[in-house]
Amino acid sequence: MERSRWLLPLLLMLCLGLGYTVLSMPEPVEGLPEMLVDNMEVAGVSNPVTAVLLNFRGYDTLLEMGVLLVALLGVWSLGGIPDYRESSPGLVLDIMSRQLVPVLILVAGYLLWVGADAPGGAFQAGSLLGAAGVLLLLCGWRIGNRCSGLPLRFLLILGLGMFVVAGTGLLLIGGEFLQYPSPVARELILMIEAAATLSIGATLAAMFLGSLPGGADK
Amino acid sequence: MELILGDVPWIVVLIILPLTGGMACFLFPAISKSLGLLTSLAVVACVWGLGWQLEEEGAQRYAIGGWGAPLGIDLYADGLSLLMLVVAALVGLGISVYSCGYFSPDKANHFWPLWLFLCGALNALFLSSDIFNLYVTLELLGLTAVALVALADGAEALTSAMRYLLISLLGSLFYLLGVAFLYHSFGSLDIAILAQRAEPSPAVWAAVGLISTGLLLKTALFPMHFWLPAAHACAPTPVSALLSALVVKASFYILLRMWLEIFPMVGTSFAQLLGLLGAAAVLWGGIQALRQTRLKLLIAYSTVSQLGYLFLAFPLGTSLAWKGALYMLLSHAMAKAAMFMAAGNILVLGGHDRIAELSSITQRLPLTLTAFTLAGISIMGLPPSGGFIAKWLLLQASIESGQWWWGIILILGGLLAAAYVFKVIGHVFTQDEPTRQAGTLPTTMEWSALVLALVAVLLGLFTSWPLAIMEIGSPFGTGHSG
Repeated sequence: MERSRWLLPLLLMLCLGLGYTVLSMPEPVEGLPEMLVDNMEVAGVSNPVTAVLLNFRGYDTLLEMGVLLVALLGVWSLGGIPDYRESSPGLVLDIMSRQLVPVLILVAGYLLWVGADAPGGAFQAGSLLGAAGVLLLLCGWRIGNRCSGLPLRFLLILGLGMFVVAGTGLLLIGGEFLQYPSPVARELILMIEAAATLSIGATLAAMFLGSLPGGADK
Repeated sequence: MELILGDVPWIVVLIILPLTGGMACFLFPAISKSLGLLTSLAVVACVWGLGWQLEEEGAQRYAIGGWGAPLGIDLYADGLSLLMLVVAALVGLGISVYSCGYFSPDKANHFWPLWLFLCGALNALFLSSDIFNLYVTLELLGLTAVALVALADGAEALTSAMRYLLISLLGSLFYLLGVAFLYHSFGSLDIAILAQRAEPSPAVWAAVGLISTGLLLKTALFPMHFWLPAAHACAPTPVSALLSALVVKASFYILLRMWLEIFPMVGTSFAQLLGLLGAAAVLWGGIQALRQTRLKLLIAYSTVSQLGYLFLAFPLGTSLAWKGALYMLLSHAMAKAAMFMAAGNILVLGGHDRIAELSSITQRLPLTLTAFTLAGISIMGLPPSGGFIAKWLLLQASIESGQWWWGIILILGGLLAAAYVFKVIGHVFTQDEPTRQAGTLPTTMEWSALVLALVAVLLGLFTSWPLAIMEIGSPFGTGHSG
């Protein structure tokens, strides 16, 4: 009880202070957006969001891929929840998932491709792949034992790995870390994004499953 | 040879090496132990390489992708970053060696990738010069730390891990909101550019408040320390050492960096407040540590107390005071890691860490108890130890700036520390039947604790080297560096 008596005035003060600050703020200082427009020609893609995420501030995205992987590692380290086995999915769910999953994969591929020039990109495409994976898992599909070890792990680190390999490779041929040479920037970005899409999709679906696949699963 | 060493961008290698090591451990769990040890060793070598470069050429700025701030992200290394990297690499190596014997194979598979990612996050954090990139590294750091705490079995550990996660996220979000205010006001995220443009306005005040609150929450400064003892005491021993020695220092580093570069115009009243909270932490943490009946909780409260010293430098604000605080950080990292490892050894062999019943176990672990005592010397601040030098520098700074009352806190804190350290050590000298329980400990676990404790003591004898590192790029100078 005592705690809530403390908390309310504190939160009110915080809200008032933040409200005052936001209202009293002057116009934002521009400068960076213009600089971005000036550099778009050498960015390799024409969608500014993708250019910032994968090129200008690609290092942030590299670390974000690490965050995603670590989140999954954290979930796996908890030991996982017992695998629930419902009765087999109904006919409707079964047929619908058979229709939907290919479409989801196709749309994910489209989003990945179009991300270079229009809204889209690896994270959106990856979440679609993840959704397809979740749908499959709900229908009772489990990854085979043969693929649940090294192949799955490889898929999960592919996004971060490709980033690091590309960055280090560019470093070795004489540039800076993650400095894409202008003629091949588009191809490099697409390659990294494709790897990231697969990893994001696999990570999201694996997180939904909760526990380390393999073992008793078929 | 020199040409090759000088050309390698160690500043980048330091970040991608642990990340690559983490991925390799994840791919090949069977050999994760050797991969982890190898990576820890390589990180120490890379820090040495970077140190060599900095010594030759002074502070270093590296534009990732060749864009350069403000469009891209810059890495920046000076004496302050180098000191933090050295601490992280040395303590990290000790923890890696210790962990080889500690974890069961099943837990080890989860431990090594997480620990190497944490190592990469720490290095990235210490080298970043971009306030949004710092947020990303904080996220990576916080998430790995939480996952590592949850590696301990039991409901208590899970509860404290969950609370740690929520606190960590809350702190990150406060920080992010502050970053948004700064970006809106000055149109850049780079620390060096912000330092040139920053001027007082309500938005900056809000940013200072939010960023400080978020980071203090993560640094567990009194009275925001409530989450720390449970999380640090429940975690597996190497993780406790990691959290107390390195992770809480990371958010302190960001605060220090911002305070030195972006917020110097902030008035003295806020600095006085930080100093007061620090003083309260020293006393409160000490008293709480004295009241604990479990060894690991005692050490965790000791961390709360020792973190308070770091904030005594804020009201003083002189170069000498900052050096004192950093020296405290350095010696505390070594000593506290050693102490947690010693406690872990006792816990493994004896099966419990109730202080009242320690007598029977302690006599079977002479090396471990030596490590604990040596670490205790540094924690108390007795000469010759790193803790002593740190307190000496802080005392000198407080007298020079005419604020002698902070000196009293230093002495009182030292007395409290002596009380709680002797509460444990006293059991070594009691006459008690040694336990007959069979059991052995891997020698690496005892020796890694001892070596770290020795380093903490030796820091009191070899002071010129760490102080010289702090001078590189003059991070505490009046003018802005870089």
